Amino acid sequence: MRTVNNNTDHELMTAVARGDLAGMSEIYERRHRALFRFFFRLVGRQAPAEDLTHEVFLRMIRYRHTYQSGEQFESWMYRIARNVFADHTKKHRLETPAREGQMELLESGRPTPFEAAVRQQDMALLHRALRELPDDRRELIVLSRFQGLTYEQIGQITGCETGTVKVRVFRAMKEMGRVFHDLRREKAS
Amino acid sequence: MMDYSCEQARETMAGVWAGETDTALRTHLDGCAGCAAEMAALSAMWEKLGDLPVPEPSLAMRVRWEQTLESLTAGQRKPESLAVRPVVPAREPRRVWWRNLWPANPAWQIAVAGLCLAFGLTIGLGAGAYLERGRGERDEVARLREEVASTKEMVALSLLQQQSAAERLRGVDYSQRMSSMEPQVIEALVQAVNRDSNVNVRLAAIDALGKVANDTHVRSSMQEALIQQDSPMVQAALIDYLVDAHDRSAVGTIRDLVARPNVNPTVRERAAYAVQQLAQ
Repeated sequence: MRTVNNNTDHELMTAVARGDLAGMSEIYERRHRALFRFFFRLVGRQAPAEDLTHEVFLRMIRYRHTYQSGEQFESWMYRIARNVFADHTKKHRLETPAREGQMELLESGRPTPFEAAVRQQDMALLHRALRELPDDRRELIVLSRFQGLTYEQIGQITGCETGTVKVRVFRAMKEMGRVFHDLRREKAS
Repeated sequence: MMDYSCEQARETMAGVWAGETDTALRTHLDGCAGCAAEMAALSAMWEKLGDLPVPEPSLAMRVRWEQTLESLTAGQRKPESLAVRPVVPAREPRRVWWRNLWPANPAWQIAVAGLCLAFGLTIGLGAGAYLERGRGERDEVARLREEVASTKEMVALSLLQQQSAAERLRGVDYSQRMSSMEPQVIEALVQAVNRDSNVNVRLAAIDALGKVANDTHVRSSMQEALIQQDSPMVQAALIDYLVDAHDRSAVGTIRDLVARPNVNPTVRERAAYAVQQLAQ
């Protein structure tokens, strides 16, 4: 049975940084879904998203000494996650990205609830438009729209001013709108 | 109140999506049809993004994490890659107090040197006898290590035979964590790639065999598996494996696969990329 832990993420991570790895269990409980969803929105496939999530937790342990006491845990965690994703992108630069969860759909005859939902016309186009954005723009939309982070937090994570983040999010959304409408026209013709 | 230009209005639209109130923007939108239309279209899309389904991680991810954490907290395994890198302290100024102990008179210097030599010989002879005794103990430790390795191997092999796919995944993970893979474990993993009914186990086994990619027998087994597999994900993973292993002899096998009808387009693209990489 899992016990309720009232410590904040910061307190837990500070203990982990001192060598008490047991705190990682609670941090995983609280954060693994958000991280998995972050990566899933970026890579579009289940298995790599799970691998990348696992890697973030391993790096949290490995680089626990870099956690600063005055730092926001969430910002630190997402900085690690961005590095993990950057390494992944570098490694798989020449691979063709999966579209609409293509590989998973082919693999199993019966679609999962996620796949069934994205098959709906508009949702599928929206999902695809997001997938077709350049990594840096997709990442901004994912962080601001899906991960529930404020522009200020995104600024801390990406090393930008809050105003710059707003401008970039606007541009990313504008580009996504253009891709979405192109896909819709393509589908209609 | 200062009125925004269209450019300023665009720079602040994203703030409204995050719940900010911007009166100057509102005023601008009331008087600018172009910006108002853009704001409405993008806001609708922002809203629609919230309707995208929420993906969920699999149970296997949790199992893998719990095993990793367990092995770390129990101190059973502390890989160097996970060990905290100590911060190197600034070097202290070199102390020279011992120099005061060295006599200035050459006669005394010779006497002290002689004493040091005698002391060194005594320590050296004593240490020789001690090391001889220690060698026996080291042999014992080596034997125990071998036993532990063999037990781990048995556990991995046993897990790979389990009916539950989650257990077999544990077996693959276990075998991957072994410092060196014994031939039986390699064979069991090759069998898992070829015969396991679960795609995740097959994929995990391919990953695990990455450790022994320099083994020509393993590489040729992976080539054979590529021809037999019908799962696009496994085919793609095998192609990646052969590319990572720089196995140029795999080019023919990959071309044979591509020549088949009904090959998944993504696999076909990846195969083309692999042939290009291996032919370089």
